[in-house]
Amino acid sequence: MSDSTTPSNPTTRRDFLSAGAKLGAAVMASPYLVRAAAPAGTGGTQSLNIGLIGCGEQGRVLLNAALKIPDIRFKAVCDIWDYNRSYGEKLLKKYGHDVKPFEDYREMLSSTELDAVIVATPDWLHAEHTVAALKAGKHVYCEKLMSNTVEGARSMVKASRETGKLLQIGHQRRSNPRYIHVRDRLLREKKLLGRITNLNGQWNRAVSADLGWPERFTIPESKLNAFGYANMHEFRNWRWFKKYAGGPISDLGAHQIDIFNWMLGVNPSSVMAGGGADYYKNHEWYDNVMAIYEFPTSEGMVRGFYEVLTTTSAGGGYHEYFMGTEAALKMSENPKYTKLYREAQAPAWEPYVEQGLIKKPGAGEEGAAPASKPWEKEEKPKFTVAAPRTSVVDVRETAALSAWDIPVTLDKAIHQPHLENFFSGIRHNTPLSCPGEQGFASAVTVLKVNEAVAARRMLTFAPGDFVA
Amino acid sequence: MNTRSLFLVITACACAWPLSAQDKVPLNLELPKPLFVGTPRPIQLPNLEKPRSGPRPVLMVPAGTVLLSKGKTVTASDGFPVIGELAYVTDGEKTGADGTFVEFGPGVQWVQIDLGAPATISAIVVWHFHAQARVYHDVVVMVSDDPEFKKGVKTLFNNDTDNSSGAGAGKDPAYIETNEGRLIDAQGAKGRYVRLLSAGNTTDELNHYVEVEVFGKP
Repeated sequence: MSDSTTPSNPTTRRDFLSAGAKLGAAVMASPYLVRAAAPAGTGGTQSLNIGLIGCGEQGRVLLNAALKIPDIRFKAVCDIWDYNRSYGEKLLKKYGHDVKPFEDYREMLSSTELDAVIVATPDWLHAEHTVAALKAGKHVYCEKLMSNTVEGARSMVKASRETGKLLQIGHQRRSNPRYIHVRDRLLREKKLLGRITNLNGQWNRAVSADLGWPERFTIPESKLNAFGYANMHEFRNWRWFKKYAGGPISDLGAHQIDIFNWMLGVNPSSVMAGGGADYYKNHEWYDNVMAIYEFPTSEGMVRGFYEVLTTTSAGGGYHEYFMGTEAALKMSENPKYTKLYREAQAPAWEPYVEQGLIKKPGAGEEGAAPASKPWEKEEKPKFTVAAPRTSVVDVRETAALSAWDIPVTLDKAIHQPHLENFFSGIRHNTPLSCPGEQGFASAVTVLKVNEAVAARRMLTFAPGDFVA
Repeated sequence: MNTRSLFLVITACACAWPLSAQDKVPLNLELPKPLFVGTPRPIQLPNLEKPRSGPRPVLMVPAGTVLLSKGKTVTASDGFPVIGELAYVTDGEKTGADGTFVEFGPGVQWVQIDLGAPATISAIVVWHFHAQARVYHDVVVMVSDDPEFKKGVKTLFNNDTDNSSGAGAGKDPAYIETNEGRLIDAQGAKGRYVRLLSAGNTTDELNHYVEVEVFGKP
């Protein structure tokens, strides 16, 4: 598969050419290969002027991550809700950005000198906002899921191709140095898992109340209707309604199903799924979904199970589990949940320890995740774990696998490397970690789950389905 | 008089018995609903307290204790909040949703409540931001009669272990925000002003307050 990359760098252009051959010809025409015209007078650290469309929760997460990146100047924010717009504007001004607020994104695009736009609006607006920004000559970073419809996602890829502007989709794990290290060094170069046969992934959350809003910040219904929303409840809880979003499999599952494709380097050939609106009475989308994919890799079929449950947090939060003949890898954005489990018959791993690729059992963080943000205090905990008084062996089970650790952790906000990759793409033609074509393939993979739930049978993918 | 009749008389007397100033009563708090959104992120800090099993112990306070802070004037080190208004700190709205919290800039920031007159304080409850499991750094709670907090300062809570905020080093634990808020036993401290410090949190560098409640006697 790919050549090795250093843990701290995004995937190389060569890797993407290699992966592209497996993911379909469309990737080869990706705009990330287009040499983006550098902003006038650019140098290595040329400041980039950025606009943000969508200043809600996710928009502010991206703002806080981008504020850590040098030479990024926010010039405009846009949101139809006064509360969000004011929030984004004041947050940026607090950090010294001379930012102008807009209610209408068209006015923002036409009246502000911007190099790039970050789109963090509800999914159903991604295509409209992204296409408009690309056609206005801006590079675009758009949150996942790329769109709540395949056609919407396709229009974004086409606009990117037509304009030659970069389009990065916000599957941020692809820029996480730990994920890159695992994929490129451990799975592809060293083949630590042997033959991968199965996948498992989940994102389970406890029940939660719908989002509310203070009466003083209510948007008049006539205005909401003009912007396409039925009422304030749907505006605040858009993720649960079919007009605006793809439901939990899109909000949560998309991150991890994208990683299935990315780790394996192939798209699935089929999916079957079950799910339903089992608990919430005032939501449209399925609150619980379970799906099974088939991935036809060059080494044989890989079966992948994924569940997203929004009625229980049981099962250990969120992770992706890659299982092979010689080992299993449990991956998560949370380092605490990341482990390598070696099968007894696997070749010795000590050489990989000596090479610094993995760490011996017990060498990693066994407690909470290490401080991974610069504003966290760095002192290590002063505690020890007492040895168990007795050990019990159940002879009916295979012996427990030894748990090894991965020595690469992210020391930044989780979205920061992905934004850095995008900005580096603009400045230095660095290949994007998730260009539009690959975001499209992930959107097709994810949205098919909802179709399968409704159809109550296995659905197949044709290779052409993943080509925008 | 049979046993049952005697019991009823004693019970009736006890119920009618006036509470003296020395009597202690449970401090009853009105808690907002839990608001955790998303998957909690494990947090590692050197002084993070262990999760409590069971309900929070009831704090006994002198009879006659009342909420002193509702609607009282709030000032802050950051006069231009990112979002929200200073008045939100004492407005009684504790849901924690958008539009109910005030967000201050990065670094060490404080808010201060003017109770209007010196008071004997029994308890302080602070909700920084309970929509996410996060920890605020260097939480310090002080009372004083001096609005500048230069003299007569009594520190009621301090988990700034390294004095990075400049209010002195403290030994109280760091804690995860929940809908219960942080209940601080003020033990009858006297003062007109209550000042609370923080220095960002484990999610971002910013400082938030949903509500602060000060209980005591005027």
